[in-house]
Parts: sequence; structure tokens; C-alpha cells
Amino acid sequence: MSEPNDQFIVSPDVPILVTGSAGFIGSRVVQSLLGRGFRNLVCFTRPTSKLVRLETVLRNGPPDAHVQVLEGNLLSRQDCEHASRNVGLIYHLAAGTGEKSFPDAYMNSVVTTRNLLDASLKGSCLRRFVLVSSFSVYSNCENPSGSLLTETAPVEEHPYLRGEAYCFGKIGQEEMVSEYGKKFGIPYVVVRPGSVYGEEKSAIPGRVGIDTFGFFLHLGGSNTIPFTHVENCAEAIVLAGLVNGVDGEFFNVVDDDLPSSRKFLHDYKRNVKRFKSLYVPHAASYALCYLWEKYSEWSKGQLPPAFNRKRWYTYWKKTYYTNEKLKKKLGWVPKISTADGLQRFFHNAARGEEHA
Amino acid sequence: MLKVGIVGCGKIADGHASAIQTIPGCEIVGVCDREPLMARQLHERFPIGGCFASVPELLDKAKPEVVHITTPPEGHYDIAKLCLEQGRHVYVEKPFTVYAWQAQELIELAERQKVKLTVGHNYQFTHAARRMRELIRNGYLGGSPVHMESYYCYNLTDPSYARALLGDKNHWLRRLPGKLLQNIISHGIARIAEFLTSEEPYVLAYGFVSPLFKKINEEEIVDELRVIISEQERVTAYFTFSTRMKPAIHEFRVYGPQNSLILDDDHDILIRLRGRNFKSYAEKFIPPISFAKQHIQNLGTNLKLFLKRDFHFDSGMRYLIESFYRSVRAEIPVPIPYPQILLTARIMDMIFDQLASRQPQCNIAFQTSSKSSEGLETC
Repeated sequence: MSEPNDQFIVSPDVPILVTGSAGFIGSRVVQSLLGRGFRNLVCFTRPTSKLVRLETVLRNGPPDAHVQVLEGNLLSRQDCEHASRNVGLIYHLAAGTGEKSFPDAYMNSVVTTRNLLDASLKGSCLRRFVLVSSFSVYSNCENPSGSLLTETAPVEEHPYLRGEAYCFGKIGQEEMVSEYGKKFGIPYVVVRPGSVYGEEKSAIPGRVGIDTFGFFLHLGGSNTIPFTHVENCAEAIVLAGLVNGVDGEFFNVVDDDLPSSRKFLHDYKRNVKRFKSLYVPHAASYALCYLWEKYSEWSKGQLPPAFNRKRWYTYWKKTYYTNEKLKKKLGWVPKISTADGLQRFFHNAARGEEHA
Repeated sequence: MLKVGIVGCGKIADGHASAIQTIPGCEIVGVCDREPLMARQLHERFPIGGCFASVPELLDKAKPEVVHITTPPEGHYDIAKLCLEQGRHVYVEKPFTVYAWQAQELIELAERQKVKLTVGHNYQFTHAARRMRELIRNGYLGGSPVHMESYYCYNLTDPSYARALLGDKNHWLRRLPGKLLQNIISHGIARIAEFLTSEEPYVLAYGFVSPLFKKINEEEIVDELRVIISEQERVTAYFTFSTRMKPAIHEFRVYGPQNSLILDDDHDILIRLRGRNFKSYAEKFIPPISFAKQHIQNLGTNLKLFLKRDFHFDSGMRYLIESFYRSVRAEIPVPIPYPQILLTARIMDMIFDQLASRQPQCNIAFQTSSKSSEGLETC
């Protein structure tokens, strides 16, 4: 077990709040914190959350740790105040994830974040607010094809035009945190993970392709997929909350030695299951997105703008990724190599297929 | 230009804003929500004049002539009353009100104020529903309906809805007398109410908590409902609501003395059932050909509408809003007659009263529908 580091902004006994702690990434964040010797955690979960992952982590955690699992709703200001009372560090991972509706995504991401920030203002001991955002916030429109996406790349200016409620919610969250940082001096760090994968997820990321139309359209081609293994990602998030001198910074989280979409799909088919896929060259996928977008406009939304150029720039334009800032400023080192991580991922996905 | 305001900026408000912006001759001058951030997000995404934190502020500053109320149902009565008192036309999302007496009061107030009022029973205005109405008006049934069957099922596997409702013990839906049922069944009940004439039909309701809900310790929300409605032993109807039936159908069947009709809302299909029988084996072979032909005709109609850019998922809502605006502008009747709105509310009241009085769990509190006893009662 790692020992607490002197360079960290909080000591091991300081209460730390983790929202979304029962989730795929959240439970690993809790695990990483316990592993680093932090003993005083408040794990906030929704009443409907499946607690299996979190319970497993807590069962295997140190016996002397004081972990409070708090059930509540971040839409309730009272619940937020209760959860954030006396905490020195907040890891905010809870967000609207699967919502297709913009108001729902906004309510479950932005309104909840505002409530939590307001609640944290009532205490005086908060040292940092860590927001876990997403790569989906980048517009990637102006970047030339084949260029490197860094933390300085512009975020989507009009996220609602991408037709993606999740991105709309995430950008709203980031704006809210920045606003509170400026207005009230709340120290914050924003972490933007790429495509988070792990043993419990078997789905092929949308950046590789889609099976919306009954067969698999391979859209990624030679693009690099910005994978990050859930344990590496959790480690980066934890460090973003602890390391001194990074307030106001944004961090992209991707692993080393990222595979191309083609390589990933090939390995997936070989290791998990065989299926037919149709490769759509970038020019063709761009044209399809353009036509869909124009038809959606012309027909006044008869087809929702699910495919459009903004989405293409973000997910299917040829782009490279870097984790240099993460390594340099946070001292992050991926614990699991991409080769190992993907092997485990394929192995579990294949087992899942067998059970299915 | 007709000035429109929206009160309540949740999920359904998106549908209203999308529909309104495609209707010529109107503009959304303002939106408001108790949660200013929600008003802001709607304002950000649609061409909207301004966003406000209260209804009086919206009415005072943006001066809408028509107000759409898209808040949770508990607020419908008070907000609609306020708007009507100030002389604004009002479109209230379904369910119209929580209790029938509130519906009655709002209708009387609208008539006194000489303004128009409607409810968001948009499924009554889909393309197929309009074709059905036209056929009935032209006498296809051969007289008044004899019997009706309305199915309005719900797929609770939608994770966002199920999570919001089942995970939140303080969800607004739980405070409604009919809980989940109250927010959903008015579409299916309104279909029946359209063809009834008496003010107080006989209603027999039976509801229960499904095994699925019981399994997750949800004993409070009735999610299976069967209703028999009868009008002086002349017209009868069955209503079915289920969260377990798959597919979760939305269908209306109306049987006349000569012919009958099936309206399939899920596929926007209308099927005619001819009363005349063929002889012998012809009855086994000719009707299937006729049904196949009808399905192909429905496909053709839907394709034609799609190519004409008139087949939006919310086409019923757009049509209803446009019809309501026409009635506001040109002194023509409202798209949904007031007695229909009231009858739907009354039938719903009767259903929830019966469910409350028969509920076996004695530790659950139910609200009754009479104005004099607004408090909670336990069985």
C-alpha cells in the first residue's frame, strides 16, 4: 500500500467526498484513494445505484478506513450540504450519462454541480474541487486533420448543435466550475478522460464505429482511439485532486501506445466475436454526416441531427493525443499498459459473449 | 405575430419549443422555470426572447398572449389560473389538472375571461388519428360506437425515467393521487372520452403493483390498470395500462354497428375492419389480402408524409398547437372541446378514487378528489 505523499495538498485524515462513487470510474477512484492511505471518505451514491463494485472495493479496503456511503440526490441542496460538510476535497464524478434529452442531461449534470458548489461554499475547508469531464467537450473543428489534441484545444462553442445531450451537460458543468472558481475562489481542477475502458465494459466505443443501422459501420479507420484503462484513469483523477500547484488546470487522460481503430476492431473480432463490418472512408463518413445534418435542417428536425459535422470532427476526424501534461505536472504513470489492458478487456468481453 | 410563453423548462418543454418554432406567425417571447438554470438552457438552445424566474415576471415583461404550461402537474392549476385571470390563452400539458374540480374551475374561468384553453392530448392529432376521426365523422362505423378498447402501455425499461422515478422517493410523481398512472393514462382515457356523451359514465377500475415493482420493493406505485367504462348500457369501453406487456402498445379500437377501426399509434397505422363477411372459405382468404393491401396503403401514406417533411415524431403536438393558435386568432372552436377535457379528468378521478379505496396496503396515504377533502386520507 502506498504511503501518503508530503507534496499532496491534503493529509490522509482529511474527509474526501467522491460523488458517483458506485460507478465504473468512481469505485476505482475510491479504491485508489484507499490504496494511497486516505482513511476518511464520503462515498455519495444515488438510491438506485448498484453498489456491487463499491462494496467489493470497500470489502477489500483497509479495515481502519472510515468510509461513509451516503445515499442521496444531488438535485437536493440539503443532500449536497450533508455530503460536503467539512470535506477538504471533492471528486465530482456524478453526471447525467445516458440521457438523450438535453434538459435531463443539463439537470443531472449542471444543476447538480451548481448545488454541490453552493454547498461547498458553506464550509471553509475545501482545498480543491475536481471535476471529471470528458474528451467530448472538444470541438476539434479548427484543428487540422492529423494534428495533436492538447488541453489548450477549444471546446465546443454551441454544444447543442452537435445533437449530443451528454456533451451539452459536460460543457455546462465545466462552465459552472470555472464560474465558481472565478467568482468565489473555489480552487478546481478539470480532468477530461478519453475513452475509458475496463473489464466490466464490453461495448465497442463509438469512435471505432456504430451499429445503429443493424450492421457495423467502421468509421475510425486508421484513427488513434484515445483509450484509457479505468484504473489508469482513476489514478489520474486522484492525483489531480492531491498534487500541489495545479489549481485551475485541465488534464486530458489517455494511456500510452494507443491502438488505431482498425487494429482494435481487428483484435476485437479475433478475440471476442466475429461479425461483419463495413469500412467507411473518412471522406465518405464526413459526406454522410454533412448530408444528414442538412436533411435534418431542411426537414425541420424530421430526422434529429444525430449525425452532423460537429460530431464527425470530435469522434471521427484523424487526431492524435498526448498525456504529456498529465505525466509532467501530476507525475502520473499508467499502471496498466494498453496491451495488457486490452487483452484483459477482450478476455472479459469474450467471456461475456459466451454467457450471452 | 402571436406571442408565446413557456412555463416549465424540462424535457417536454423541448418538444413545445421545437414545434412552436416551426409554426409560422408566432414567436416565443419568454420562458420561465423555478430553477433559473433550466430556463437558461432552453433559452440558449432556441430562439427565445428572454428567460424569467417567475410566472408574474414572464407575464408582465414578455407579455405573451398564449402561455404553455409544461411544469409537473401539481402546478398546472395555479399557474393556469393566474394566466387566465390575466387574460392569456393557455395550453396545459397533460394531465390537465390533478383533480376534475380544478379542470371545471379552469374551464369556467376561461369562458368568463373569453380566452381559450387546451390540453396536450397530442396523440389525438397524429396523422392516423386524424384519418380515423374523419372516417367516423363520415359515418364509417354505421352509427355511434358500440364499444372501444384503448391500450396505453408504458415501457419502464427506459433507464432514465425509471431511475428518476424509482430512485427518488420525493419525485413529484409520487405526490400525485394516481402517481405514475396519473402522468400517463390521460392520452388513452381521452381517446375514449372523445366518443362518450354523458358527464358521469360508470367506471370500474382495478389496479395493482406489478411483480416487477414488488421485486424491487416498490409497493407504492400501481403500474397495472384495467378499467371498464360504460355509458347507460349503450356504449362501453375497456382501458388497459401495463408496464409488463411487450410490445408496450398504444392502440385504440373502436367498434361500430356496421364497421370498426383499429388505430395503431406506434406505427401510425389505421386499419378498417369491415362488418360484412364473405361466404365460406372466402372469409379465410379475401380479408387477409384486404389487410395486406391496407398495410401497404398505410406504408405508402407514411412514406408520402415523410417525403413531404410532414412526419415528425411529434407531428400530433405540432398539429394540436397550430390548431389551438388558429382558434385563438380566428374565433373558431378549440381543437379539444371542453366537455372532453372535463370528462377525461372525471374518469381519471373515479379511477384513482377506486384504486385508493381498494388498496390493500393500509400504511399508504392516498389523496381524494373532492374539493372539500384535499388532505391525505389513509385507508
